[in-house]
Amino acid sequence: MRKVLFYIPLLAFLGLSLFLLSGLFSDPRERDSAIIGKPLPQFALPDLMSPEQIWTPENLKGEAYLLNVWGIWCPTCNAELGYMSQLRNEQGVRIIGLYYVLPEDPMFGEVFDLAKLQADVQSRLQAFGDPYQFNILDRQRRLSLDLGVSGAPEHFIVDANGIVRAHHIGDINPQVWRSKLAPIYQQWAAKP
Amino acid sequence: MIRLVMVLCLLAAAQLHASTSQELLQFESEQQRRLYAQLTAELRCPQCQNQNIADSNAVVAVDMREKTHELVLQGYSRQQVLDFMIDRYGNFVHYQPPVNSITIWLWLLPVLVLVSLLLFQLRRRALQRNMQGAEQPCEETAPASQQQAALDQQLDQIIERYRSTKP
Repeated sequence: MRKVLFYIPLLAFLGLSLFLLSGLFSDPRERDSAIIGKPLPQFALPDLMSPEQIWTPENLKGEAYLLNVWGIWCPTCNAELGYMSQLRNEQGVRIIGLYYVLPEDPMFGEVFDLAKLQADVQSRLQAFGDPYQFNILDRQRRLSLDLGVSGAPEHFIVDANGIVRAHHIGDINPQVWRSKLAPIYQQWAAKP
Repeated sequence: MIRLVMVLCLLAAAQLHASTSQELLQFESEQQRRLYAQLTAELRCPQCQNQNIADSNAVVAVDMREKTHELVLQGYSRQQVLDFMIDRYGNFVHYQPPVNSITIWLWLLPVLVLVSLLLFQLRRRALQRNMQGAEQPCEETAPASQQQAALDQQLDQIIERYRSTKP
């Protein structure tokens, strides 16, 4: 009994060390997504390039896809365009963009200009690669809020029935795609 | 002095700016205003992680403030707004975590540690008292002053013995 008591501080110290050590390798920015397993929230948003086309959760159904929240103002998003184009061309991944518009500040005379935005996006996609089947314009960021988006880039894998299967905060690079997203995408893309 | 005045001016300007930007929001009642202030203080920004949404100027915090304002105006209660946000951003977004099988340790652990320390201390006390009670009275020893005198005497004898006898 006394011997056991004698070792308790050592054991407690080791336990604490292990706990703190594991903290060194955890990502404090990682948080659980609240949307996985739920259907896409309701929305009716225009296409970025041809605004007369309205996208809703219903007309996106039928095939699994990767929904990418992005904007040309976001350097990381621009950096991943190349790799995602590769995914589209080589692996046939269906990628849909959700264009995240930054709020304009009227105090600085900023106004929303769709024609200018379209031109900017067009030239950016020409320069870095165009992975998108099309882009949905989320001007008020309402859909982004409903999806639990906290910034760009973020990615969702949505299955053919419109159920969200994965939520990835941050960029897609070969390592993230292979280890985290590709298995989920392939699992849901394979289902009819 | 000029510096001080400038700093004060800046502070005043900042204060003014803060108060005007707050007053841009319209509420139907003082109660709603208070609810809004309470909610924006206890909702956590998912982007700048150690700020509440009232503090943060991240786009998502701005949007969440707007949404909170909108919901408060629609007559949502505090809990309904919290549920709305937790439904989208997870428990992460509220500064007060819910009690479940994992988070219960946050409350239990301090209590457990306290109780075990208390038990440990009590046990130690009891042990000490036992030992004191069991201790045999020590054999009679001479008082300290007598011991000291005896030692001095011994020392004197030794010095006497080795003292040089040369004239």
